[in-house]
Amino acid sequence: MSLRVKQKQGVTFVDALVTEIVSPFQKASTFLIKTVHGVFKNYVVLVHLQRENLLLKQKIGELQRENHQMKEMAYANERFKKLLQFREKISPPVIAAEVIGGDPSSWFKSITLNKGEKEGIRKGMVVIAPEGVVGQILKTAPYHSTVLLITDYNSAVDAIVQRTRAKAIVEGKGENRCQLKYLLRSEDVIVGDVAITSGLGGNFPKGLMVGEIRKVEKKEHGIFQYAELIPSVDLTKLEEVLIIPEAPPPPLEEKGKKVKKSPPRSSRKKK
Amino acid sequence: MKRNAILLLLGILFLTFQTTLLSYLPIQRIRPDIVLVIILYWGFTLPPISGGIHALFLGYLMDLFSGNSFGLYTFTRPLLFYLAQLFRGRLYLESFLSQSLFVFIFALFEGLLILTFLAALNPAPLGNLYSPFFTFFLPQFFVTGVITPVLFFLLQKIFLTLFQRQGMGLRERG
Repeated sequence: MSLRVKQKQGVTFVDALVTEIVSPFQKASTFLIKTVHGVFKNYVVLVHLQRENLLLKQKIGELQRENHQMKEMAYANERFKKLLQFREKISPPVIAAEVIGGDPSSWFKSITLNKGEKEGIRKGMVVIAPEGVVGQILKTAPYHSTVLLITDYNSAVDAIVQRTRAKAIVEGKGENRCQLKYLLRSEDVIVGDVAITSGLGGNFPKGLMVGEIRKVEKKEHGIFQYAELIPSVDLTKLEEVLIIPEAPPPPLEEKGKKVKKSPPRSSRKKK
Repeated sequence: MKRNAILLLLGILFLTFQTTLLSYLPIQRIRPDIVLVIILYWGFTLPPISGGIHALFLGYLMDLFSGNSFGLYTFTRPLLFYLAQLFRGRLYLESFLSQSLFVFIFALFEGLLILTFLAALNPAPLGNLYSPFFTFFLPQFFVTGVITPVLFFLLQKIFLTLFQRQGMGLRERG
């Protein structure tokens, strides 16, 4: 071999001929082998890819589900945070509860909570959300309770218009609407005004937001004007609420005013 | 006994759907009363005593879970059950249209009955209840009527599967 390297000539004529004849076969054989190997390899890879694809799809599905759960948790966390901040802000101790059902009938507006007498819930207690008033406890069972929403026809909340301090009774009108009753015609009330609890009813603490006035109608006759109100809490999407175990008694001065100035009291209605 | 327990569970299941899934519908005007549909179906298929007790119990449950303190449904639901029983041998509810119409008329009748009772029993006049009757409740009665054929079909299948021996079903009895 070393001898051949030392020689200037590459290969002999015969060697070259044989090489040139065999080489195309070799080339073809290699091509064939490579192709077969390639096809086989690609096929196997494809099979793997298909499997991998399936696994990845499953993984994506799982991740999407996890993502949804995380988002849901984030939303819940945000709501709880808001609820907690609100809970810390208001002075009386409150009980947090979850909404587990709505009213089976469309004639009435109520929700069912997952807390009952065992947790200290009693009939007449005030139910609120960070955005404002929700309603009052109507029925109680050991572990569940029913809340009469402020949009129910039987609900009545003593309220005042925040800007002008005009007194009125907020009555339910069904379908996420309320109306302001006994609102004197002389009172200055405009669309966009906010109604808050007056604290006069004895049950609701003063200053809780009830809703925003969306429609005002002043007829040419009569002593009262009509105003429609949209509750500040979206009662159709309520998930968690706070229950005030005891409402502070109204100040004596206001109690006196209440007797004098608002004869059509909410006490006539079921609370 | 087993049959009554199953019927009761079915009623509770319908009530649960009504208070959870259906109460969160974005448009409440299209919320159907599926409990009414099952009670009317029972009116055509169950014997008067056991069916009446079931209707009474479901009505009672509806009152219990609603903001109603008069017990209206405890009264109206058995009443509707017995009214449906009156039509049992007289009506042939084979077509979808007749089933829908039958339930729509009964829903309308119950609505008027509730409105009358509410107006009579409430100390304060409920003037704001009359206008929603046409704008809010009528569409609901209509939707209840529309979904009735589907529910009747489902109930028929359930009844035939569960109580095949008795051969109960709307086509057999109604």
